[in-house]
This record gives sequence, structure tokens and C-alpha cells, in this order.
Amino acid sequence: MDPAYFTPLCTLTSSLVLLAGIAILWRHSLPAYIDSFARQSFFFVLVILAVAATTGTRELYIVAAMVFVLKVVVIPRLLHRVRRTVGADLEIHPYVNVPFSLAIAGALTLVSYVVAAPVMALSDLPTRASIPLALAVIFVGLFIVVSRRSALTQIVGFLVMENGIALLAVLATYGIPLIVELGVFLDVLLGFLVMLVFVHRIRETFDTTDVDRLRKLRQ
Amino acid sequence: MLGWLLEAAQCLLTLAAAPGAIGLVRWIKARLQGRRGAPLWQPYLDLRRLFRQEVIIAPSTSWIFRAAPAVLFGCMIVVSLLVPMLAAPLPLDGAGDLVVVVYLLLLGTFVLSLAGLDPGSAFGGMGSSREMTIASLAEPTVALAIFGLGVTAGSTNLGQIVARTLENPARVLSAGHLMAFAALYIVMLAETGRLPVDNPATHLELTMIHEAMVLEYSGRYLALIEWASWMKFFIFLSLLSNLFLPAGVAATLTPAALAVSLAVLLAKILILAVSVAILETQVAKLRLFRVPELLSVSFLLALLAVTSSVLVR
Repeated sequence: MDPAYFTPLCTLTSSLVLLAGIAILWRHSLPAYIDSFARQSFFFVLVILAVAATTGTRELYIVAAMVFVLKVVVIPRLLHRVRRTVGADLEIHPYVNVPFSLAIAGALTLVSYVVAAPVMALSDLPTRASIPLALAVIFVGLFIVVSRRSALTQIVGFLVMENGIALLAVLATYGIPLIVELGVFLDVLLGFLVMLVFVHRIRETFDTTDVDRLRKLRQ
Repeated sequence: MLGWLLEAAQCLLTLAAAPGAIGLVRWIKARLQGRRGAPLWQPYLDLRRLFRQEVIIAPSTSWIFRAAPAVLFGCMIVVSLLVPMLAAPLPLDGAGDLVVVVYLLLLGTFVLSLAGLDPGSAFGGMGSSREMTIASLAEPTVALAIFGLGVTAGSTNLGQIVARTLENPARVLSAGHLMAFAALYIVMLAETGRLPVDNPATHLELTMIHEAMVLEYSGRYLALIEWASWMKFFIFLSLLSNLFLPAGVAATLTPAALAVSLAVLLAKILILAVSVAILETQVAKLRLFRVPELLSVSFLLALLAVTSSVLVR
């Protein structure tokens, strides 16, 4: 692909990844969170495909296919199923309200531009303009984890953060070796499954997925 | 000389086409909702009826109430001279840039909410306070989106922005440009009282904003206000279409180029009006306390637009 189009395309798709992450802060219901996450992973697949088409790396196509299967199809489905069995649909009282969350997301984006400025100055990659966006996705994911009460929402936040890290890897190094990528995928999948088990246990013990209630021990 | 004629033509176009654009949105909306809908020219008939009707003014009002419609209408006329609708370099470009245009639009909002307060009726005050809440939330977004556009074009002059974007068409698809477009689109919905923010079709006291402010008006005053608010909608649509997708705007003042420019402008406005109508059938009105959430989304979009166009060099 022509590098003159590659840089704007990269920035555009990475911005979409970031916006899909921020949409989670804006919406109010768990189904919307899960769909936003699936959308974000889809945009991430587009970024990988753009990088793959420009650099001609074959491994990246495999990575794109794996991300698509795992993060666009499998994980959202599992999340939806757990959501139905647990019966938690609304994130009723987040620790930080929506307009303020959005303002913080904007501030986090600015911070990631400041943090990434030295990296951008050093590198001459055509993708360097998108590096701050990937950092911002990581920060937004972390912010979702700390500002929302429901355990399921926190899992979504963790997955968003993981998307951000993977996006950073693709943008900054054009993809890490396939074997490492496979390891990371298994890691994410296992971590995710363990978390789902935890959500079930929390729900059985406390009758809620609100982590704020996990204050006292029960027998 | 031709330039000045063009200015007059733009003004007349706005005056003549604005009720048509509103009629179109209403008609498409009615069709999508399975109603037959009033004909496209219904707003023109409404205007004629209102201009003929008797004016009744509450005795508790002051001169503000009578001056407001004229000021509002005047603002829209001036703005229609400053916005590049048909050709990019206009003779009056030096008279006002994007900042002037936006704040003239806001001046109209301000005057109208003063007029809503003036008769001292409960509904007017309620409408004014809501309108001001929304305007104060929408304004930072507009300012930021302008900075984003102005910095990439190197000027806040509307003609310059359009000309620069015409020279470099790849910029239209850049992330900053698209996010600024989305931010201004949301602001357009809020400022012109369209659906997720205000429902232009009801007089329900719990939800109305624009209608609450103009409740005391009648006759030709109401006609001026309605006409001005339709013109505002038309101006916002042409700003959105020409600032963000300037393809088709005439760079030279030849009759052929101007004809193409007029056709393309009307086509773009048609597409935007259809998008507004479809959106209005899809979404429900937001609760008033959810409106700040929507507007902070648009603020965030504008902020991201600025960061991705300014901080990356």
C-alpha cells in the first residue's frame, strides 16, 4: 500500500479503536459494553490488516484471523452468555459519572500524547502518529477497570486494556513473533476464563456482581 | 461585481431554500414513520399564514420581546453572507471568519432566550434556562472543532479553510477531520433543536426547549423566528457539507462552475437532511439530564480531533 495513504489510514483505524473504547464509558448497559468491545476488536483487526498489507508480513494475517475469531466472536459470545446467567444488565452507579468519565478519558488521551512525544520524536515509522492512541486505549481500559463496579464491566475493561497493548505492539514493531503472539493469546484466553469463573463464584456467594460488596468474608 | 451578486444570491438561496429543507426533513420523517406527511411546501404556507395573522403581545413585555425576532433574523442573514456556500473566495470573507459566524449563531440563541424570559411566563423561563444549559455545553465543542479545522488549514477564514481542503482532498478522510465533523454534527442537532436533544414536533411542557421560548409569540414575529430557526438549520447543514467535504465548491466565478456548485451543494444538503430524518426516526429523545452526556461525547470528539491534527506534526 502507498505510504502516503498508510499513515492516515492507520491513524483513522486506531482512532476508531480508541473511540470504541471510550464508547464503553458513555454507555450504561452491559450488552452495550460487550458490543463496543467486539466493535473495538474489529477495528483492531482492520489496523492489523492495514499494517500487514503495507509491510507484506504474512504472519500478521494469521494474527488478524486469530484476533477476529477470539475477540470479535468467541469472547463477546461468552460474555453475553455469562451476562444472561448472572442477570446483571445495568451498570447503575459507576464510581465516576458519565460526563466526568468522558472528560477524564480526554485528559488521559492528552497525557498519552505527552508521554509518547519522546518516542514519536525518536522513531521514523509511518505508524508513529498512532502510538499515542494505542497508549490512550490502554489508559482508558485501566480507567474502566477502576471506575466501574460490576465485575463483568471490569473484565471488559481488562480486555480493552489488552487490546491497547496488542495495538501498541502492532504499531510500534509491526507485530511480535508469532510464537509470542500465540502465547499472549492463550494467556488472555485463560485469564479471561478464570475471571469468568470468579464472576460466577462472586455471584453465588454474594448474590451480586458489584465488587463494592466484597467487603466481608462469608462461610 | 460578480462576487457581490454571488453574496446576494447566497442570501436569497438561504431565505428560499431553508423552509424547503425543513419541509423535506418532516416529509421523510413522516414517510419513515408510516404517515403520509404534509407536502414539502407546507413550511412556506405556514410562513404565509403567520405573516397574515394578527399579532398579540402580552402587556408585561418590554422592547426586548419585539426586537428579538428582528435581531435573530438579522443574525441569520449576516451569517448567510459569510458562509461559503457556492464559491470559496467571497468578497465578504474578510468581514468575518469562522469565529464570527459561530458567535453570530450563538447571539441569535442568546437573544431568543432573553425574549423567552421577557414575558415572565413560566414556560418561557423554563425554555430559556434549558436552551442556555445546552448552548453553554455546546459552545466549547464548537470552539475546539474550529481550532482543529483552523490549525490544519492555517487560518480561521472560512474561504481559506475550504480552499485549502480543496487543494488537499486526502485530508477529508483524516481522523481529525472526521471526528471534528462528528462533533459538529452532534452540536448541530443540539443547536437547531433536533431530536435527541429537543423534539421540534411537540408542545409537551416537560420536554420542549425551543417551543417553550417562542410560546408567547404570534403572527409575523413568530414567522420571523420560525424562518430564522429554519435558516439556522440550513446554514449548519451547508457549513457541515462545505467545510468537511468541499468538493464541488466553485473556485472560479464562471456560470458553469457556479451551476455545478449549486447542484452539488443542494445534493449534499439533501443527503445531510435525509441523515437527520433517519436519525430522528431511530432515536428517542434523551432525558434532559442525559443531554450533557451526549454533549460531552461531542466535546471529547472535538478534543480528539484537535489532538490528532495539532499534536502530531
